[in-house]
Amino acid sequence: MPTLTINGRSMSVDAANDTPLLWAIREQLQMTGTKFGCGAGLCGACTVHVNGEAVRSCQTMVGDVAGKKITTIEGLSAKGDHPLQKAWIAEQVPQCGYCQSGQIMQAASLLAKNSNPTKEEVVAHMDGNLCRCMTYSRIQKAIMRAATEMRTASAAGNERRPT
Amino acid sequence: MNQHVKNVTPESTDLSRRSFLVGTAATGLVLGYAGVPGVGEALAAAPANFEPSVWYAISPDGLVTVTCGKADMGQHIASTMAQIVCEELGAKWSDMRVNLASNDPKFNDPVLGAQITGGSWSTMMNFEAMSRAGAAGRMALTEAAAAAMGLPPYFKDQLVVRDSMISHPKSKKQMSFAEVVKSGKATKTFTPDELKAIKLKTPDQYTMIGVSVPQLDIPSKTNGTAKYGIDVMIPGMAYGAIVTPPVRFGATVKSVDDADAKKVPGFIKAVILDDKTQTTSGWVVAVAGTYANAKKAAQALKIAYDGGPNAKLSSQSLLDEAKRLQGLDDSGQFFVKDGDPAAALGTAAKVLEAEYTTSINIHAPMEPMNATAEFKGDILHIYSGNQFATRSGAIAAGAAGIDPKFVVMHQMWLGGGFGRRLDADMMVPAVQAAKAVGKPVKVIYTRENDMTMDFSRPLTYQKVKAGVDGDGKLVALSHDVVSAWPTARWGIPDFLTPSVDKKGPLDSFTVNGADFFYTVPNHHVRAIKNEMAHNATPSGQLRSVAPGWTFWAVESMIDEIAAATGKDPAQFRISLLDGAGKNDGGAQRLRNTLLAAMGLAGYGTKKLPKGEGMGVACVSSQERATASWTACVAHVAVAPSGEVTVKKLTVATDVGTEVHPDNIRAQVEGAALWGLSLALYEKATLKDGGIEQTNFDSYRPLRMSQVPEVAVAVIANGEKATGVGEPAVTVVAPAIGNAIFNASGARVRGLPITAEAVKEAMKA
Repeated sequence: MPTLTINGRSMSVDAANDTPLLWAIREQLQMTGTKFGCGAGLCGACTVHVNGEAVRSCQTMVGDVAGKKITTIEGLSAKGDHPLQKAWIAEQVPQCGYCQSGQIMQAASLLAKNSNPTKEEVVAHMDGNLCRCMTYSRIQKAIMRAATEMRTASAAGNERRPT
Repeated sequence: MNQHVKNVTPESTDLSRRSFLVGTAATGLVLGYAGVPGVGEALAAAPANFEPSVWYAISPDGLVTVTCGKADMGQHIASTMAQIVCEELGAKWSDMRVNLASNDPKFNDPVLGAQITGGSWSTMMNFEAMSRAGAAGRMALTEAAAAAMGLPPYFKDQLVVRDSMISHPKSKKQMSFAEVVKSGKATKTFTPDELKAIKLKTPDQYTMIGVSVPQLDIPSKTNGTAKYGIDVMIPGMAYGAIVTPPVRFGATVKSVDDADAKKVPGFIKAVILDDKTQTTSGWVVAVAGTYANAKKAAQALKIAYDGGPNAKLSSQSLLDEAKRLQGLDDSGQFFVKDGDPAAALGTAAKVLEAEYTTSINIHAPMEPMNATAEFKGDILHIYSGNQFATRSGAIAAGAAGIDPKFVVMHQMWLGGGFGRRLDADMMVPAVQAAKAVGKPVKVIYTRENDMTMDFSRPLTYQKVKAGVDGDGKLVALSHDVVSAWPTARWGIPDFLTPSVDKKGPLDSFTVNGADFFYTVPNHHVRAIKNEMAHNATPSGQLRSVAPGWTFWAVESMIDEIAAATGKDPAQFRISLLDGAGKNDGGAQRLRNTLLAAMGLAGYGTKKLPKGEGMGVACVSSQERATASWTACVAHVAVAPSGEVTVKKLTVATDVGTEVHPDNIRAQVEGAALWGLSLALYEKATLKDGGIEQTNFDSYRPLRMSQVPEVAVAVIANGEKATGVGEPAVTVVAPAIGNAIFNASGARVRGLPITAEAVKEAMKA
């Protein structure tokens, strides 16, 4: 039985190595915040982090992530208060909400590396994540809001890149 | 005891004939309509289980839970219902909660008498009933508080209700809702007349309506806790993956070889559907212990099909058939029959004639179709996000071979609806698999199943002839609409419309919008059912439904007439919106909306660079009787290659009354971007009887990089609240088509608009 390290906990799953990580997370571990959208890496609804990188869990096999650090929407923050989650509420982003776990996880991997992204950088990073309700402009606004909060929170603003 | 079975005894769905009850149950205060005359009788009838049609309840800790009978697919309708109740009740917004209703008829829509969500109807049709329910609750609580404070009953008008607190300023006494509920004294019955006599707040007294309160469902949609149908977990359940045939409809399974599937760990069974509801054809479900293994088993099944009667059909066959039908004099039925267009066209100074088409389009909500079925005793439980519980429950029952009254539908949050979840195909494999394996089964479609088996927006073909007199006045318009008939598929006579020429009912959800608010003395609209398309591509209602294609034709043709007569297209529309006769009121609102969009876009105020242009369109979506007023100015750039770049969409919409301004903007923007997506990017095709597009690589909804600037102006003029979720979808494509014409001289008449079509039209 493969053992997965998810959200800081080690858990064994009753799944073959060639099982998509998505289904192991959803069914075996019953963490349903990560969503199935296309099964082909085309929509981003299933995005999780593996060692800090955003990956499509429908295209990632259980056998390939043993020993790696996996983070899902449930583990992004202790109380649902990651700056992105707060910004998503402040901007009232979700409509149906189904894609939003994936959107937030995708955005989080951007902000972890670049807390002062340009609009173009945001679009390039997010373009693989579909939102059928078309909440795209609010997603952009929320990412910018969260980025601002993260920059403000980190030190005295001396980490800002020249703009 | 199953309350759903108990409650199916016919009750009046007409709330104007039902009492409103406020009473105390074990859980706190319950408030709602009842089929019995008074609370006393209700309590006497079932003292231990007093349960009127609970529209909302107040718990002893003061939390107000509103039960929403509408499907919430992202339009935040549950939160909106709570907001309307909250306004009249006088509760604090942070005390409000929502609950999604089951298919119990007591949660039926007060106007429609069924549980169905669509048409941008919910707010307009529930506003009054929810307001009265809230007001009745406030009155009951206030009277009980007055008594508890020792005030004579006539003092109750001196009480102030605000933020879940009832206070008497003179004596400085106050009681919270929680305290009144705990007192158990709030009991009151309103007769239908008393309920009707309640004086509701006037807009100047609103403290909640018109305020963008935080949507109640949003926090759970940022941390993974919102539960959609696909997230349902039932102890001991198995998973089903479906295998669908290469033909969209009409195929049958000849044989199934499961030898290889049996090698998949946890494989339980392959179930061939026997679908007497005619919702599916030729489907097989592979059931296994996990979804991953169910999918593996599904892939391992070797299935032989008989392709059936539609196996050779293509989009071209459907279009050819549509043209053939349109050419026949006796095809179809009349939806509008004003004057005599044929005669007027005969004497017109100028006649224009054009064909407009739209392709097959796929809903593709992000949550693929799914359903979980569990037989428990004599009850079939279905867990699924669904827009039409009344009909879907019946289809689940049909699939199970039981009476619909034994089906309980558990509503979930919908991971997108857009009309797709009005259908109930997903119930059939879940029910029949659960029955066959004797365990609860969750069926999940792959994206490929979801796309190829969509109840799609039908391929449409429209022919429009227009006649202009010597003064350039539009005197005749003859409009034929040929398509599959999505609503006729339901088999519910109430949803069809009598034809004007008395040739039997027609599906008005294929022609709505063609009965526009322009004044045209001779105007015919003919609805023609494309039986071939109807059978080969069972169609559904896709966000905005008919106005998504009728206004493509009408608003393009109006522009063509303006161009042919040398008029500014916006001014030409304004002249047609004169408000004469039956168009009085609506026409003026639409005119004003168009003017607002023009103003916001700077229409006609600046010279645009070569290759750029602005186009206008205005629509009265959805149905004439439920219209909201929406106009768009599209600003595009057209390259010599024919490639179109949408630089900006300006949308103005008259919604009457704003319940939640921020949500209206979110809905209008989403709808406008849907319109853009359908106008330029989304196209499905039929080949050999099957839909060719299978996933988001070949069917391509709008992505973030394709989003232009969108400006939205909302007009709230104090008229009744209208729907906002759909109308903006319909206005964008014609505005873009008209802008392309103004930018390049290319007139395009088919959706989606391609660079090739634009380039071709430039030469014309």
